[in-house]
Amino acid sequence: MMDRNDPQPLTAVPDPEIPAGFPSGSAIRRIDWGAQRAFDLLLVPVSEGQEAEGSSLSVLAREWATTGSGGSQVAAGCPGSVLIPLYGNHVVWSPERGAVIAEAGRLDTLAAALTEFAQCERRLRDLEQRGDSLNNRVETDAASILVAGEATDQPPRGGVQGSQLESISIRAELSKIAPLVHAPVLHPPTAASQLAERLRDRTRLAERHDLATNRADFAVQVYEACGQRAFDAKIARRQSGLEWAILVILLGQMALMLVEILSSRTGQ
Amino acid sequence: MGKPMNRTVDAPLISQIRQGNLAAKPPRVAIVGGGPGGLFTAWNLEHQADSPFELNLFEGTDRLGGKVLTPVFSTRGIRYEAGAAEFYDYTPVGEDPLRDLVESLGLHPVGLAGAGVHVLEKRIANLDDLCDTLGPDARKKMATFDNWARSAMTPREFYTSGTDGSCHAAQPGPFHQALPGPVGNGLRRYIETMIHSDLATPASKTSTAYGLQNYLMNDPAYMRLYRIAGGNEQLIRALAERISAQVRLSTRVERVVRAENGPMRLEFAGPEGPQSEAFDAVVLALPLEALKRLKFQGGELSEAMGRHIGHHDHPAHYLRVTLLTDQSPQPILGDDGYLMLDAFGGCCLYSETAIEPGARHGVLGWLIGGEAAEQMSLLNDQALVSEVLNTLPPSLAHLGGRVVESRVHRWVGAVSAVPGGWDSLPEDRRHRPAATTQPSLLIVGDYLYDSTLNGALESAEYAAGWLAAHLQSLRAGNG
Ligand SMILES: Cc1cc2nc3c(=O)[nH]c(=O)nc-3n(C[C@H](O)[C@H](O)[C@H](O)COP(=O)(O)OP(=O)(O)OC[C@H]3O[C@@H](n4cnc5c(N)ncnc54)[C@H](O)[C@@H]3O)c2cc1C
Repeated sequence: MMDRNDPQPLTAVPDPEIPAGFPSGSAIRRIDWGAQRAFDLLLVPVSEGQEAEGSSLSVLAREWATTGSGGSQVAAGCPGSVLIPLYGNHVVWSPERGAVIAEAGRLDTLAAALTEFAQCERRLRDLEQRGDSLNNRVETDAASILVAGEATDQPPRGGVQGSQLESISIRAELSKIAPLVHAPVLHPPTAASQLAERLRDRTRLAERHDLATNRADFAVQVYEACGQRAFDAKIARRQSGLEWAILVILLGQMALMLVEILSSRTGQ
Repeated sequence: MGKPMNRTVDAPLISQIRQGNLAAKPPRVAIVGGGPGGLFTAWNLEHQADSPFELNLFEGTDRLGGKVLTPVFSTRGIRYEAGAAEFYDYTPVGEDPLRDLVESLGLHPVGLAGAGVHVLEKRIANLDDLCDTLGPDARKKMATFDNWARSAMTPREFYTSGTDGSCHAAQPGPFHQALPGPVGNGLRRYIETMIHSDLATPASKTSTAYGLQNYLMNDPAYMRLYRIAGGNEQLIRALAERISAQVRLSTRVERVVRAENGPMRLEFAGPEGPQSEAFDAVVLALPLEALKRLKFQGGELSEAMGRHIGHHDHPAHYLRVTLLTDQSPQPILGDDGYLMLDAFGGCCLYSETAIEPGARHGVLGWLIGGEAAEQMSLLNDQALVSEVLNTLPPSLAHLGGRVVESRVHRWVGAVSAVPGGWDSLPEDRRHRPAATTQPSLLIVGDYLYDSTLNGALESAEYAAGWLAAHLQSLRAGNG
């Protein structure tokens, strides 16, 4: 089954979109991530040993990538774009665009590694954003349960339940991407593993993932406590209802007994 | 002074002073050699000993630090590493006392990495490059060799190999015999180039265990590398500031004289001319070449020291040529702090500005090792500079025209090709080679372990621990 985060099959975009200054043979692949979002990958083949050429093209590519990702928010501490010289090849990443300037024989390997990284980074970025908005709600939600809930004796609001589910969902998603984010360094390395390690390092993926996980853990705990509190309140409410019922039954029983005693006396 | 007297005046000492027995002075300890080994020993002794002693540190030159030195180019005041360039970080496997020390001194370690190996005019930085350059068969053979190496020495065995002698898992004999055959010539050259500059000797002249260690250290699961921000010599300065030993610079110890049933005497030449002083304990924290030049008086003592030197006498050589350029190699080298070249039998080319992102200049340092280093040390500086420039890979060749200043440092016989010797000795034998005649004469050296700063620290810790206990027993005897 395809994960909703998996990229769709690559589709070629017509040549005109290739920015000026790149040699013929360059191509752009659009990776459709759904929800009207995509990652554009510029592939620039250079001949072997043309490192100086690759180096100047990488500056152009970075400009192109940065302009294309202008609107995207990146996490604190993560640069808006990254340029990685990799043994004669150059790789650029930004949230919505990437470029590989490499010998023809390496283009596909590096493009695949960059795509996999971009996908993982995007998933993390989404989770960070969801975590941010959840974090903004945590305090009010907690207050509504722990303070307001107690005073009004109202059952928890549906919104809080939603937040609790959201916190669990964020935490679960973070666990899913953890093996990608914390992948051990491969030895002997491959070109793809070297690129992935450097991209993870430069975008501080592991630290960001740890931070997002800590925050999600916190939210899960808070909502768990809220749930517990709401549950306790519900139990307490039920208990007091039961106590009243017992009291009423007892009173009824006593009244009946009284009636019985009185009627037996009048009968005598 | 090791422990300042006012800090450590205690009951037995006070009673001795009260009784007018001032002859019972605190024991005198001498450390000969103000390199990392000597400084580590002083630092550890001052932390471990809990009885008063007087500590003297003799250094033959006018600076502390030995082979850890970070000079500056005169034209631009930019620093470079002239000796030890990298620190080994064992934290992926276990405790790392050197890293702990570096951090406890408030110094900042900065990671260092590199994967490029230039062989047969091609750069091999990963398995894909290996496949392109040497063919798909080489990739398979590399995987087989790597598996063999990892099973011959696990990260844990690698970690403990310095302490408990060579690795048990690795077969005895020289490393080149251990390279699994048939390994294509290209692959063999690739592996040898990868490790040669760390070995500082050909694969045929080192043990399988040491060869394996130098191959496996490239695997981050075994070890990582780092430098100290601001230059490795920061470590020396930080230690020198914190020890309270009396440091005697420009004072070369020449002779160790054995005294019957009493302390040892050191004869030395300092700023005030030749002198001699008696010490209760002496630590010789010297590289083997310096130890060979010392004279030992007293039949059994000189015999014991002769045996020690004979066991460890496997000199290996280094030569460093460092160039300051007015253009940075970083756009080409990226994050890599070094790459290996197959020139000079395999040498390491450091890009020292890799840890300074955005630097406009470049510092390229060639670390040439082994026989090539020994032979080339005879060349003059200018010839050496043109030799190294010829080895620049094509992608960096343009930097040859951007050289602003060059420096050469010759380190002939400065390290050991077979640290620990061919047969590993028990730790006490390594450190107290004349234990029967001169029990309080201790040796500290990186060559007793692995020829690195970690080895020097491990050795210093052993010696300091022994001495601390010895000082305690001397005090108990006096009391
Ligand atoms: C080029 C090079 C690169 C290296 N790279 C690394 C590396 O990357 N990582 C690593 O861990 N290790 C490295 N090493 C090894 C490291 O430098 C040593 O492990 C370390 O310096 C050993 O310290 P030491 O105190 O035993 O000897 P030294 O550093 O040699 O210090 C000995 C001191 O004793 C003094 N001395 C000598 N004779 C006398 C005398 N008769 N009287 C008084 N003083 C005397 C000397 O002047 C010197 O100051 C490298 C070594 C070299 C040469």
